[in-house]
Parts: sequence; structure tokens; C-alpha cells
Amino acid sequence: MNIGIGISTEKDTLQAAKEAVLQAKKNIKTAKISLAVVFTSIEFAHINTIKIINSLLHPVALIGCTSAAIISNKGIFKHGIVIMLIGLSEGEGVYFNAASVKNIDSSNALVSGQKLGEKLLFGFRDIRRDLGIILSDGLLEDGTGLISGLQERLGRSFPLVGASASDNLKFHKTFLYINEEVVSNAICGMLWGGKLNFGLGIKHGWKPLGKPRRVTKASGNTVYEIDGAPAAKLYEEYLASGLDKLKKELKRVSIFYPIGIYIPGEEEFLLRNIRLIKDDGSIVCQGNIPEDAQIRLMIGTKESCLLAVKEAVDEAKKGLFGRKGDFVFVFDSISRYILLGRQAHQELEIIKKEFGADTPIIGFYTYGEQAPLRAISYQGKAYSHNQTITILAIGG
Amino acid sequence: MPVLGYNNIVAMLWLAVLLTIISLGITLFIKINKIEKLQKAVDSLKKSLDEMDEQAKLIVRTDMELNKTQEELDKKITGLYALQRLSRTIATTLQEDLIFKMIEPGHLEDLGFEKACGFLWNDKEKKFLPYLKIGYLENEIKIIKSAVDADMGIYLDIIKNERTFSSISYSQEESYKQRLNNIFGVIYFVIAPLLPKEGNKGFLFVGTENTDKSLTEGDEELITILANQIGQALENARLFEKTWRAQQDLEKKIEERTRALTQALEDVKIISKRKTDFISAVSHELRTPLTSIKGYAAILLEERLGALPPAVRERLEKINTHSDELVHMVNDLLDIARIEAGKTIMKKEEQNLKNIIANVADLIMIQCKNKNINLIIDLPDSIPPVFADRSQIERVFINLLGNAVKFTPQNGEIAIRVKANDTELEIGISDTGIGIPQEALHNLFQEFYRVDNPINQQVKGTGLGLSLVKHIVEAHQGKIWVESVMNKGSTFKFTLPLK
Repeated sequence: MNIGIGISTEKDTLQAAKEAVLQAKKNIKTAKISLAVVFTSIEFAHINTIKIINSLLHPVALIGCTSAAIISNKGIFKHGIVIMLIGLSEGEGVYFNAASVKNIDSSNALVSGQKLGEKLLFGFRDIRRDLGIILSDGLLEDGTGLISGLQERLGRSFPLVGASASDNLKFHKTFLYINEEVVSNAICGMLWGGKLNFGLGIKHGWKPLGKPRRVTKASGNTVYEIDGAPAAKLYEEYLASGLDKLKKELKRVSIFYPIGIYIPGEEEFLLRNIRLIKDDGSIVCQGNIPEDAQIRLMIGTKESCLLAVKEAVDEAKKGLFGRKGDFVFVFDSISRYILLGRQAHQELEIIKKEFGADTPIIGFYTYGEQAPLRAISYQGKAYSHNQTITILAIGG
Repeated sequence: MPVLGYNNIVAMLWLAVLLTIISLGITLFIKINKIEKLQKAVDSLKKSLDEMDEQAKLIVRTDMELNKTQEELDKKITGLYALQRLSRTIATTLQEDLIFKMIEPGHLEDLGFEKACGFLWNDKEKKFLPYLKIGYLENEIKIIKSAVDADMGIYLDIIKNERTFSSISYSQEESYKQRLNNIFGVIYFVIAPLLPKEGNKGFLFVGTENTDKSLTEGDEELITILANQIGQALENARLFEKTWRAQQDLEKKIEERTRALTQALEDVKIISKRKTDFISAVSHELRTPLTSIKGYAAILLEERLGALPPAVRERLEKINTHSDELVHMVNDLLDIARIEAGKTIMKKEEQNLKNIIANVADLIMIQCKNKNINLIIDLPDSIPPVFADRSQIERVFINLLGNAVKFTPQNGEIAIRVKANDTELEIGISDTGIGIPQEALHNLFQEFYRVDNPINQQVKGTGLGLSLVKHIVEAHQGKIWVESVMNKGSTFKFTLPLK
């Protein structure tokens, strides 16, 4: 697998796209480009960006999305374009298929997931399927539905790693890049198979605090009652603040003290950010919480966050069984970016140190992640996550 | 027996029942006791859990406070870094229009804002003009500008009062704050005056639409510092521009003057050349008829054409004398012209000045004796040889000594003194004559210049001697000058470079 990464922080679209492409082309050691992966800050979410990249590359396929900040070996940048080119040679026996589904809303999430699954499977009849990587619009309402749909087609325990696009923290609109289009309300993905090696680590670093609680009334993303009382009461109690103040400080509260769902048989709690507190005291989460779930209030620190990165890297490396990865995908939760602030780059430093400075790294900050919880077994079902860092090391 | 037996059985049964009841009672008692104990344990556990939960609440609250403080601190540090970076770029910018361009959206983002605009008051047009826009479209700035012009009093007050204000410190009524928010399309804002000492002043506006932002006094301080930096940079740029302009003007003037002077010099050279050419031509033209006049006068005086009556002889002798003077004058003129035109080649050879001086002293001695003048020759023991044209240098001595004799009264004194240093010889010829007036010293070496004094009125002269001397000395890369005290005497000094 030949990999070439290019990055530019130029302001002008033409210059930035050109610089990133030329760098990536220089770094890849083949003329045949099978796939281009593009992550950009929101100001580049324009058809021109993609047109320029396509005209300079003529890749077989192009996928990507917008983000609050882009990640590469060279650092974390709030503004810029990062491009990774992948060149597969016929002899190495690694295959991929890229596909997308557009016009998704809350009513057709499950069907859209199924549709994407079918599209991805096309052409993979006689080839061993290894891994699915999914990018989705970060503001889609029913992410769980999409994953369920996909799993119905690809298999419940098929390793699925996903990340949703973000914008400049305004939560206005996020975009996906699919071949020659820039679209919202969409999902795209790659199905990898053949002789692919990969290692996956996903961790958050938050720890449970206080009494275990039970969700007594919930539906989809909305939790109405916890232990028989309005859900927001949990936060009111812990933070000793009224509903109005809570609403005002929601972003901070949601990042620092998410809800952790206890999943029997899993080591880690599944985190849920709070997206909205309604006047009736119900809370809307980023991802679903089932009724009767046992939950805890979670607490995290910068140290525990950074420790989780090391753990995620270790797990990903275990999956490679001692082989060196060709490149590393990093899907990092935007919450971590906000929490770590000026120390955000330390996450990248840990990853670089563990994988070696010469291993290409590409990634972005997400509004949500999807991956199996018990990453090491790969038998686990994929869940929607919040606040995690997903390390996906891939080797041919 | 059976009856007894029956009774016995019943009694035994009763006993058994009683025993069972008692044992059940005991068991129940024990169980209840155990349950009570367990309940107590559960209650205690529950209590501990509740206590722990309460502790957890405390932890969360403290953690929240800590996080907030940390966040605020992080924000400030990021802001300070941005300010430092920005200050460094702004401070080194000396072009006014570039200063505002140095402020980039990234800097503003790090300071916690995403919108900014800067206005400077234009004194000529009596309105504010926009110089900076970040996060605004062109037409949005136009709308803001007209709103600013409509309320210009408020913004002029900011400049006048030299005070920053913001959404949190604005003392006016709430409705006005709302109005500002609407005009600039923000939720929180800071406005700080731009106060360069030189030229137009203005104000810097920064704002954010981010509802999560909690504006603090720290923000106000940071923006004030930024505004001060911009003000200072504007001042520097303006001063630099002023200095640069002044320098440009000066350079231009110098250039113009130089050009004028060069032109004047060229003109002088042309005139001088014409003069030299003219003198040369005229002198040549004069020499031919002079030779004839002198020739014919000589023939007549020799009386080859017959005896001359005394009156005729006397007139003819005068013609002869005057012709000689004229020839002498013409020759001097021609020499000057030649030297000026560079046509006279100095035949420079190694010369012993002692010999030259001895020669000239012999020539002048008779004239000195006639007037009883004491001629002093004061030479060092050894004089290094000079590289000069012997006949020309002799002319210099003869001219200067001749003048000295002419202007020195009876029983006076004339001295020739020579001093040598590493590079040149300085020769001085001093007399105890009538001296030269101060105002005449300046023109002394000019052609045809004659000092107005009684001796000159009596004794004839051409006014060419000193000019010729100067030309000869300068042709030897030497200098000539004169020092004189009226009625005490004069000293002519000239230098000759050593070999």
C-alpha cells in the first residue's frame, strides 16, 4: 500500500488545494492513485476545492469531510486542507469499495444505512471483508439508525469504524466530500477486504462517579426520566444549579460530565454527550440511551484523557500483531479538543511517538464516533460513541 | 390402656407441636434478628452510598469550578500569545495600510472573537472610514459604516475620552447596547480607541456571536492593549512616512542643486576656455605686429636710414621700451594661457633647490644693492631634491623676489626661507614692504589684478606675474598663498611636493 499525505494551511482555496495535492503526490511512490481521503476546515467546503483536487489527481475515488480542525503528522490545524492518497498495487491483494447515500433524514436513517451496506457489498462477493470505515454528516439526527441499517447488511459483529463530520463548533452545517460533490445529510464509506491488516483502539478516559442510576423513561436519543425524576435533575443535583444556568453552561457540562451507560460484558462505559436540555427536564443525547439502562455520571481530566490515547494506541498496535502500520487514521472527538485546549497537540505527540515519526497520520475532529466497544476482539457490535479517540492503524 | 395411650399420644403430640412452635419461634426470632441486622447493614450501605454520592457531588462542583478557572486561564494565555504574535508583526510594519492587514482571523479567534472592524476618523471628510474588516461582508461593512456615521458622536466620544468599553462595562441603557449589538451583528463586544499621537485617530471594534463566550474584564484589557499597539504602529508608520518624505524632498533638492552647480561649473569651464583661447589668439596676433614695430624701431635707432634728431630718438626709444614691455606681457599671457590649456609641458626633473635659489639670488642681488636691501637666505643644511621644471621654478622665484624688491623700501630686508617635511618643501619669501590690504589678498593671484597702492601707481606692471606664478606652482601640484601685515611686510609661501 503506497501512501502520500499533503497538508496546506494557505488561505486561498486554489493555493491550499494545490499545495496539499502536490505534497501528497510527492510523498506517494506510485502514479496510480486508488483513493483520495480529504479533510478540510469548514471554509474550504466548496465545490471548487474538490474540483481542483480532482483535476490535479484523477483518483479512482475521493471521500472526506469538513472538521473543526484537521490532523496530520505535521500537527493540528484549525484552518487547512489535509489529503491522503492511497495507491494499491494489484499484487498485494487488498481491495476496497467506496460508496455513499444522500438525502438522509430521521425518517429514513435505517433504510439509508441498509442502502449503504448494499452498495458497499457490491463487488465483494468472493472477497473476504475486513473493515468498514464510515463518514457521516455530523448533524444527522439518527446516527444509531444508520449504524443499525449498515449492520443489518454487513453483519452485527462486522468491524465498523465511523466518524461524523464537524464544522467550526457552530453546529450549523457539516459537509461530506464524495467524488466530485460537496453534500450534507449524507453518509459515505469504504469497505476494505482481502489481505488487509488493521488494529483498532477506541478509548475515552472518563471514569464513573456517584451512585448508579437507572433510566426509567427514554426513547431514542431522549431521556425523560432517571430514577423516576426528570432526567435533568441528575445534573441539577450534582452541579447544584438551576435548569436555566445548566442550559447556559450545557456545552461545558456535557463535555466534562457526560452520561456513561453501563454495558454488561464491556469494560468501558459508553459515553453520551448532552445535546439539549428541554424545559420539561428531559435531555437529548448525542446517540441513543435505551430504557432501563444503568447509567453513571462520568468525570474526566486532561491526564485521564491523554492516558486513554496511550491505551487506544496500544490496542491498535496489538491488532497489528507486531506489523508496522502503513498509515493511521485518527478520529478524535471535538469534546476532547475543547477539553484539552492548548494541550490538544499532546494527543498527536503520543500517537506519533508510539507509531514512529515516519508513519503517515491523517485525521480530524468529529461530532461523534462509531466503533465496537471491546475493540480487541472485533466480535463486538459497533456502538455510537462520544468523547472518544479512535485510532485505526492500517497495513497492507 | 388405649385411653391412657391415646391421652399420652395426644399429650406427646401437643408437646411436639409446642416444641415445634417454640423452635419455629426461635428460628423466626433468629431470622428476624438476622433480617434486622441485614437491613441495618443495607441501610448503612445505602447511607454510605448516599454519602459517597454527596461527596461525588462536591467533587463534581469543585471540578467544575476548577475547569472553569482553567478554561479562563487557557483562554487568557492563548489570547496573550495571539497578542504577542500580533504585536510583533504590527510593530515592525511601517506602512499604515499594511498594519490592519496584519490582523488575521486566526489572531482574532485566539483572542476569543470572530468579528472585527476598525475605523479611522477622516478630518477632511468629517466622517469615519473603515480600515479593517474581519468576519464581515463588503455590504455589511457599508451598513455598519452608515450606522457609525449616523451616531458619530458616540464614537468620537470614545476617542475623546480615551476609554475602552464593552458589553459588560457599558453604562448606557440596555437598549443602546442592544442597538450596538444589532449594528455590528454580535452578542458580546469590546470597543477600544485607536490613539496615534500623529494624524487621524479612530476605534477598534471586536465582537462575537458565540453565546458560550463569557466576556470578562480580561478581554477588555487584551483588546485595549491591542488597540494601543495598533495606535502606536500607526504613529510610527506616520512618523516614518513623514521622515521619509522629508528625506526624499531633501534628496531631490540636493540633486537639483548639484545639477545646477554642475551646469554652472560647465559654463564656467566653457567661458574660461573661451577666454584662454581668446587670449592665446590675441597674443599671437599681437606678437607679429609687435615684432615688426620693434624691428623697425631698431632699424631707425641704428640710424641705418639716416641720422635721427634727438627728439625723434627719444620717442623711438620710448617705442622700443614700450614694445619690450608689451612683448613681455604678451609672453606672460601666452604662458598663462598655455598652462591653463595644459599645453605647457613641465619638464620635471630632479632639482636641487639650493642651486636654483643661489642662481636667482645672483640675479636679484644688484637690484637689492641699489635699494640697500638686505637679502637673507635661510636654508636648512640639506634640502631633499624636488621634481620640478627648473626654468619655471626660477620664474616663480624671480617674480616673487622682483615683487619683494619692488615693494620693499630702502634699507629693508628680504628673506628666502625653506622648510622641509616628509611630503613637501615650503618656501617662503618675505619682505618688509608696505604690505597688502586684507581685502586684496583674495584677488591677488587673479590675472590683471593690481593692488591699489602708491607704488603700483608709480611702477608699471601687467598684473600677470602672480597669476603666472600660481599657475606654475599648481602645475607642480603645489599650493601658493600669502600672509601680510600692512606696513610691516608680506610673506609669499608656496609648496613643492617632494619626489
